[in-house]
Amino acid sequence: MATDDRPGAGTTPALARLAGPLAALADNAAARRAGIVALLALMVVAPFVFGEYATVILTNALLYVVLALGLNVVVGYAGLLDLGYAAFFAVGAYTVGILTLRVGVNFWLTLPVAVCTAALAGVIIGGPTLRLRSDYLAIVTLGFGEIVRISARNMSITGMASGLSGIHQPWLFGWHIATPRDFYYLFCVLAILAVAVSVRLADSRLGRAWLYVRYDEDAAEAMGIDRVRVKLAAYVTGAIFGALGGVFFAVNLGAISPESFSFTQSVLILMAVILGGMGKIPGVILGAMIVILGPELLRSLGELRLLVFAVGLLLIMLFRPSGIWPGRGRQQ
Amino acid sequence: MGILNKAAAAGAVFVLVAGSAMAQGTLKIGVQVPTTGSEATYGRDMANAVVIAQDEINKAGGVLGKKLTMVIGDSACDPQQAVNAASKLVSQGVAGVVGGYCSGATLPTLKIYGDAKVPFVITASNSTKLIPANPGNAFMINSTGDQQATKATEFLASKGVKTLAIVNEGDAYSQDLANLTRDDWTKAGHKVVAFETANKGEQDYSAIVTAIRAANPDAVFWTAYYADGALLIRQLRQSGYRGVIAVGDGSNSTKLFDIAGRAAEGVYAFSNPIAQFLPAAKAFIKTYKAKFGNAPGPYAPLTYDGMRLLAWAITKAGTTQPAAVIKALASAHNEEWLAGPITFTKHNTLARSNFIVLEDKNNAWIRADK
Amino acid sequence: MSLLDILAHQLLNGLVLGSFYALVALGYTMIFGVIKLLNFAHGDLYMVGGFIGFIVLSAISSVVGGGWFGIFIAMLLSMLAVGFLGVVIERIAYHPMLSAPRLSILITALAVSLVLQNTALALTNGQYTAFRSDLGFGGITLGGLFITYNQMVLVAAAAVLMIALEFFVTHTQYGRAMRAVAVDADMCELLGINVAAVIGVTFFIGSALAAAAGTMAGAYYGSLWYFMGFLIGLKAFTAAVIGGIGSIPGAMLGGLVLGLLEALGTQIPGIGSEWKDVFSFAVLILVLVFKPTGLLGRSEQERM
Repeated sequence: MATDDRPGAGTTPALARLAGPLAALADNAAARRAGIVALLALMVVAPFVFGEYATVILTNALLYVVLALGLNVVVGYAGLLDLGYAAFFAVGAYTVGILTLRVGVNFWLTLPVAVCTAALAGVIIGGPTLRLRSDYLAIVTLGFGEIVRISARNMSITGMASGLSGIHQPWLFGWHIATPRDFYYLFCVLAILAVAVSVRLADSRLGRAWLYVRYDEDAAEAMGIDRVRVKLAAYVTGAIFGALGGVFFAVNLGAISPESFSFTQSVLILMAVILGGMGKIPGVILGAMIVILGPELLRSLGELRLLVFAVGLLLIMLFRPSGIWPGRGRQQ
Repeated sequence: MGILNKAAAAGAVFVLVAGSAMAQGTLKIGVQVPTTGSEATYGRDMANAVVIAQDEINKAGGVLGKKLTMVIGDSACDPQQAVNAASKLVSQGVAGVVGGYCSGATLPTLKIYGDAKVPFVITASNSTKLIPANPGNAFMINSTGDQQATKATEFLASKGVKTLAIVNEGDAYSQDLANLTRDDWTKAGHKVVAFETANKGEQDYSAIVTAIRAANPDAVFWTAYYADGALLIRQLRQSGYRGVIAVGDGSNSTKLFDIAGRAAEGVYAFSNPIAQFLPAAKAFIKTYKAKFGNAPGPYAPLTYDGMRLLAWAITKAGTTQPAAVIKALASAHNEEWLAGPITFTKHNTLARSNFIVLEDKNNAWIRADK
Repeated sequence: MSLLDILAHQLLNGLVLGSFYALVALGYTMIFGVIKLLNFAHGDLYMVGGFIGFIVLSAISSVVGGGWFGIFIAMLLSMLAVGFLGVVIERIAYHPMLSAPRLSILITALAVSLVLQNTALALTNGQYTAFRSDLGFGGITLGGLFITYNQMVLVAAAAVLMIALEFFVTHTQYGRAMRAVAVDADMCELLGINVAAVIGVTFFIGSALAAAAGTMAGAYYGSLWYFMGFLIGLKAFTAAVIGGIGSIPGAMLGGLVLGLLEALGTQIPGIGSEWKDVFSFAVLILVLVFKPTGLLGRSEQERM
């Protein structure tokens, strides 16, 4: 969010310059509070200041904040490498699509179903595999992601390769959430909720158990922590975040198709988590912003924009290997 | 083209765009195509066609006395990216949009252009799902899959084919065509003995080839794009398959021959009237080759038409007012374009199928249905 | 065709495909062995190898012809060039990151992958490139099985490369050092082994093997594309894990197993080829659930 008032500025040097003030911000509690208030104020006025195009992009960025925070629980808190996170995103999106279009269920009633389905999917895939070492877990989750995507492509209930379209935009107490600005505020609320839940989780018993398991599994086990259960909790929590992101993604776009849930999507979300500094909530938010806003700010470069973005990414990682967000970090 | 040239060209375009925003008398046209990602091959081809149309129109005096400037919106064949690109195009004040390649990416942009009342000429996406989602401002100038399936069934049956193998690539376009053809073919009383799906970008089709050989069909119908189609054709012939091979309109590019070579001899293609069979298009091919160094791809003629159609409609409307332009587009009636006459149904789709059948003779297309 | 013929053919298809997977998987696994990195840019080196092989062949085909001999020369030069590219990538992008958190270096690898892909996209203007060679369609028939000469040469070439690698790893000093670094890099450093050099050699060999596969695949299938490394990179990663990541014989075995799974997956009654990859990944997951270290991998403790 801190970079969006500088459109056109070269992403890399701008970020390097940001690092100093960011560090101060992270350390000083008063400055931090002021920063958060300023950020919230910016969030509220942004659509009026920057116009509709920026509103659409920011909405997308906020979606990634939610997804990245969810994946952060899995990767950053519990230390599990997940390369198939888009699968849960797909589960949420398709649950809404199928239930509202094929069964005729009210949108808000699909939310608990999506959460339950994602949790179930998390248990099914996580249950037997969370004992594996992380590289193996990575490929298992990747495989799971591909299985979900290919299944969506091949089954008629998911609309096959064309996907589902005509998903209706929801009403909330007489408010028809339809314009880009409506969705922007909806995603603002979602993102704030995601941040709040992430903060609470990190400070909870479970959060400390994750920290323990990540530092030393054996010691944690010896202390009476059931590591598989703790890991599963992280996995399922991440799945629920992903599914909720998918639910609102589906109603925002009104159409979903399998290509939205590819391996590339999972990688993009992972990139957001690690780029900003995994385990660090402001870092993850910043990462999501860069991953979405970066290519957008570079649109004027046309076909070279991804190349420039990739080089920028490389430079960021080389100069800030632990992620952009400064501070102690939970890693290492 | 070297990377330095490209960088220079990109810079030039940037300067041009920046300059034109200040200069009076230009009209921006959005071009929504994938220029990055796995589908960039097709998107670039479409963008190239628009460049040619734009240059020609501008040389002839432009539209309403203004020069046309194209603004590319990279959809990356991804629904979210496409939405971003579309919003950006709208915010830049385009008078209309041409393009639309991946149906899945085109679908969510319909609402954006609809809300902004921007006329949208869709030149490649042809999923039937686009029709009900169209708010009325979009016009599809590519024939839809059902028309092609009908043509394929008629033609293959006339060649004495009884058993058919259908291969698609699991994307919206080729899967749709494969399913429609399977339905038509079975309805006509024949048998589909193999129905296979390949993965895009997979180079090895040997497993599918063996499965097809085992089913031993009279004909194989490839419903997806030329690049992978060429590989399948090569591997089919390499394995000793001697039956009929037919491909859909995504494979009607002569680039099919570059990759498949002699193996493509005798392959049939269902196609929109392609450039070479229209006297008017000879110049288009020549210009395209001179400018971009390779032959135009499968959607270049249609996209060229799309740009010209939009310019024609704005001229006819005498204004860039969306409602008037949309009305003018809807009124298109049998004017001759590169890929044939255009008249729209009330759903804004092409009124009549203009599919023809081509055959490869010595790595050149000849008409097979005359 | 009888069922037996079909199965024989699918085994052959799996063997050819598996050879490519194995060559790429070897690089994956070797690099993982020495620096514990899942090198996501590895598939793109296969792509670059294909393009360099093509450029070399185009330049020399008037002298040496476009047959297997010409392809062999093109392949060697491509291996050399891409091998160096691999070393350069390691020096610039991965080496400074070795002390960073393990997942950061993963993102660096993804960035390198994007750079390679988009550079190729810019240079080729997004076009498919036809890889012209003079390979014929000839072959021999064994019972109901038709084997082309190209398939024989391919599998033989892959086998030779793998045997050479196995010899290098088990019988040379660098090979032994490579295995030692894979076990404990810090200890190697203390014992006076030049770990940086060993890592460089590993990248050179791994990248060269991907280039060999890329050149051969380009000539055999007949086309090149800037995105062609993506899918095979994914598959090779899968193969390396099936075999047990870090294990060189495991990568060879994993490649062949995955090739065979994919070929036979097309043939399962009642399940179409559209489910082929689901089948492969399902088998992968089952293998890992029941044998958590992969087929030939060693059990070891690890931390992220």
